[in-house]
Amino acid sequence: MSEVVKEKITAVDTVTCTIDGQQITVPRGTSVFDAAGQIGIVIPAFCNHAKLKPVGACRMCYVEIEKMPKLQVSCATMATDGMVVSTNSQQVREGRKAVIEFTLINHPLDCPTCDKGGECDLQDLTFDHGYDDSRFGFDKMRFIEEEKRDTFDDLKIGPEIVLNRNRCILCYKCVRANKEAFGEYDIGAFERGDLTEINATPGGEVSNPFSGNLVEICPVGALTNSDWRYKIRVWLTKTVPSICNFSGSGTNITFYKEDHKNFVYRVTSRCNDAIDDGWLSDITRYGYQIVNSESRLKTPLIKKGGKQVKASWDEALAVIKKHMGQIKDQSGGVCIGGLISPSLDNASLYSFSKLFRTVFKSNNIDFRGDYRYLPSVTDSLFTIAASQPFSISDIEKSDVIITFGTDLIREHHNEYLKIRRAVNFYNSTVYSVNPYAVKTADIAKSEMVYSPGTDELVINGICLVAIEKKLVNSSAAAKLKSKISKLSPGVLAKLTGLSKEQFEELAEAISSAKKVTFIVGEIVARSLDRDKICAALSNLNKLFGVQDKGQLAVLSRYANSKGAQKLGLSATPYEIVKDELKKIWGEYPDCQPRNTDAMINLMKKEEIKGFITVGANPMRLYPDRSFASEGLEHVDFLVACDMFETETTELADVVLPLCSWAEYDGDYINLEGKVQTGKQAIKPKYESKAAFEIMELIARQLGAKLFENEQVKNEEIEKLLKLDSVLPWPDDFLKIEYEKKSSQDGYPVPLFICDDPHHSGHLTEKSPSLLNFSDSAYVELSKGLAAKIGVADGDPLRVESPVGKIVVPAKISPVLNSDVAIIPRNFSSTQTTSLLMRKKRVDSVKLTRVEE
Amino acid sequence: MILSEKTVKKIREKASKYPKRKGAILPSLTLAYKQLGYVDNEIYIEISEVINVPQLEIAEAASFYTMFPKKPRGKYLLQVCNNISCALLGADAMVDRLEEKLAIKRGETTDDGLFTLISVECLGSCCTAPMIQINDDFHENLTREKLDKLLESLKNGK
Ligand code: SF4
Ligand code: FES
Ligand code: FES
Repeated sequence: MSEVVKEKITAVDTVTCTIDGQQITVPRGTSVFDAAGQIGIVIPAFCNHAKLKPVGACRMCYVEIEKMPKLQVSCATMATDGMVVSTNSQQVREGRKAVIEFTLINHPLDCPTCDKGGECDLQDLTFDHGYDDSRFGFDKMRFIEEEKRDTFDDLKIGPEIVLNRNRCILCYKCVRANKEAFGEYDIGAFERGDLTEINATPGGEVSNPFSGNLVEICPVGALTNSDWRYKIRVWLTKTVPSICNFSGSGTNITFYKEDHKNFVYRVTSRCNDAIDDGWLSDITRYGYQIVNSESRLKTPLIKKGGKQVKASWDEALAVIKKHMGQIKDQSGGVCIGGLISPSLDNASLYSFSKLFRTVFKSNNIDFRGDYRYLPSVTDSLFTIAASQPFSISDIEKSDVIITFGTDLIREHHNEYLKIRRAVNFYNSTVYSVNPYAVKTADIAKSEMVYSPGTDELVINGICLVAIEKKLVNSSAAAKLKSKISKLSPGVLAKLTGLSKEQFEELAEAISSAKKVTFIVGEIVARSLDRDKICAALSNLNKLFGVQDKGQLAVLSRYANSKGAQKLGLSATPYEIVKDELKKIWGEYPDCQPRNTDAMINLMKKEEIKGFITVGANPMRLYPDRSFASEGLEHVDFLVACDMFETETTELADVVLPLCSWAEYDGDYINLEGKVQTGKQAIKPKYESKAAFEIMELIARQLGAKLFENEQVKNEEIEKLLKLDSVLPWPDDFLKIEYEKKSSQDGYPVPLFICDDPHHSGHLTEKSPSLLNFSDSAYVELSKGLAAKIGVADGDPLRVESPVGKIVVPAKISPVLNSDVAIIPRNFSSTQTTSLLMRKKRVDSVKLTRVEE
Repeated sequence: MILSEKTVKKIREKASKYPKRKGAILPSLTLAYKQLGYVDNEIYIEISEVINVPQLEIAEAASFYTMFPKKPRGKYLLQVCNNISCALLGADAMVDRLEEKLAIKRGETTDDGLFTLISVECLGSCCTAPMIQINDDFHENLTREKLDKLLESLKNGK
């Protein structure tokens, strides 16, 4: 059924028609094409796409409909009552033949040299439905661009995309997807008639964060990408279903691999309507290249005379045994700590926890190496907010969507696209409420940019105005009012930089909504005052009954953050998790729990002497580099497991090569709490091992054993996953203290360090394709701020904070409209986190032009 | 800005009348064309900023319409009809004559920026073929002499 209408129709509103003699009843608004699909009749098509509005451009989907004199395109004809359709009559077959013949008039028929061969819709449908000859003898119209010409008339139109206009059949899927689904305007259709061509916007290139999808949906070889083209023929590869490792939503993907070379050739979508609609971000599509990277750690390394040298696993494990054993025996396991990446699978996370808690008998573990001042109690408000249920597919069912403290295109690609879809297809209303202008705002009814660091005041403002306007239940209103009315809405408006009317608009939107989605993101999660903000959110939730008619949650950012939480990977797991662990293990360390911050502090005091990182790179990602490095440099014995050499492995005494997620079967829990399996595509490269294996090896070195066998491990994990992991909000409204903002004297520009839209974390810089989009740090700023400083796009800028200084090129943002600086954290060439001070709520910098 | 303040103002006025911003693309292009006699990518970017529609959508629309010239043209646009009636009555000879006198080919502009020569399809004046449209005016029932005279008077600025 056409997605456009799915929601609008009720069960009663159906039509019954007959297709090829079979009766079928479908909701009104269903296309003949989709109705046929429901009874297993596949109509050939080029331009139809399940997630886009029909355009009827290619005419391939012709059917014959009784009482209609001519053939009709089934994709753009809606089924009606009593309609009698035949999809395979003589007339239809002739019509199809004619369409193919017409489509091929100017097509070069260069299949042998075309990379799409073997998976080309045109090739397949011509074979099935075409003539084997053409009546058009004249020369084919041919696009050649002499100067830019590569080979075979290929034209590079973006960092990854190669266009061959001669092969294009003008189905417009690329342009439609780009505009309709992604809201991007960097590829278009120009001219008309036989001169019509697809091309990049004049003067530009196709480089949006979803551009890889255009290649995947092109039915012919007109759009190909440098990642895959001419490397292997598709029929020589095998496919393996997996899950994206770079996002919290668990995008479904397919690996294409070749066994002899033990190589992954590409990633394509594996459409899951509930999560991704079959669209991949470029990070998901090209990020897999890190698996094949030549620069992966190939063997264990051990430090000898101050230098890391290659070693065998046995040697490395012996060193670990010696040192960790020593620390454990002499100082106690509490002097050992560890940090693991929340992108690893359940088995790895759980093994890590079990190693620490049962072998070292230490509670020094965490999975959040890139957040500062994490809560040190189990039921902090932030932990509660992050545990709330969330459903990605409910986004499009919500009439009101609020994004708060989240720059979705840098954090959650799927949700970003779902919101666009909600607006374009279901008329949802979006409000974007953030400390800087974000990309999502182009579809928002209102964009509200509040001053950085005033997040909870915005929420208070909304609540107070709702009370004032009597939009909410009066007894609740009275209770809350006594807690937060110290500052009036007028004052709050002033402090936040918003207006009372804006508070009102939001209050009205939430209270009148039938179904709300309230998304809270990384800007809140990374804030020192996340608990305070979440307290305000708790109030708002209670006051408006948001969750009674929708959803409100802090979305988890990484591939298995939810799994880490459920399996008790924080120093302070949920009580029920702790109880279950006690039951399973028959023990649980009773020493102080230490989260990332506490551990680093203890390293400085030399109370943590041994440390293990698994896939985590605190040296790059912890938001205060000097704090992290002071700690890690003090550690007596550091073991670092990673796929690559990183800032953290550099400091390590033993480095162990880690498998990528493509090299073993693993379970991941997405931000909705859905468990999904990523299947093994290839054998572990070089000498790398999966984290769960490494944990077991370390345990055995120390004379212990984590699991008797795999089944035991799985059963233990199963028990934990069964527990309800949603924490209840506090019963009462909460008081929210207001602290005056510390002044930013001398450092006037608020700074946000986050992911580039084409990168995620510290690994993606090893993907050559992603580097083609973005390969080094920059400081993104608004046109206005750039003018004030006197820099143009690309000019070097000195970025100084009280603790650090970097020089990076200026990048003028088409979106930003206030004085903020945004710097990506994804490139090892620039230590951006050295600008951050962990004790500051809002980091800020001074920007000056570098004189030549 | 290449667009004059006056044009920008007019574009804004027009744009405010459309319920969807995209609706203002063609009127904006027309106004730009009226000022400049052509449109090109720089103009698309300027219009895009004025009416807040992506540059791409403006570029796509402009490229579709062949009647928006994409390069600056001469002061006089010589549009020789070469459709059937005019062709039968000697349109080709007219074009040849103009090419010879102006020393340019079809589609080109003279170095002094005075004339651009193009051939066009039927202008709806078949009964007075052969004919030429110069800017907004028709000149009909042409002969070689008439054409030479016409050219002279334009050169002399009349
Ligand atoms: S490039 Fe491919 S997707 Fe785009 S219009 Fe042409 S055939 Fe369709
Ligand atoms: S699929 Fe129906 S017209 Fe293209
Ligand atoms: S053919 Fe020349 S005006 Fe019609």
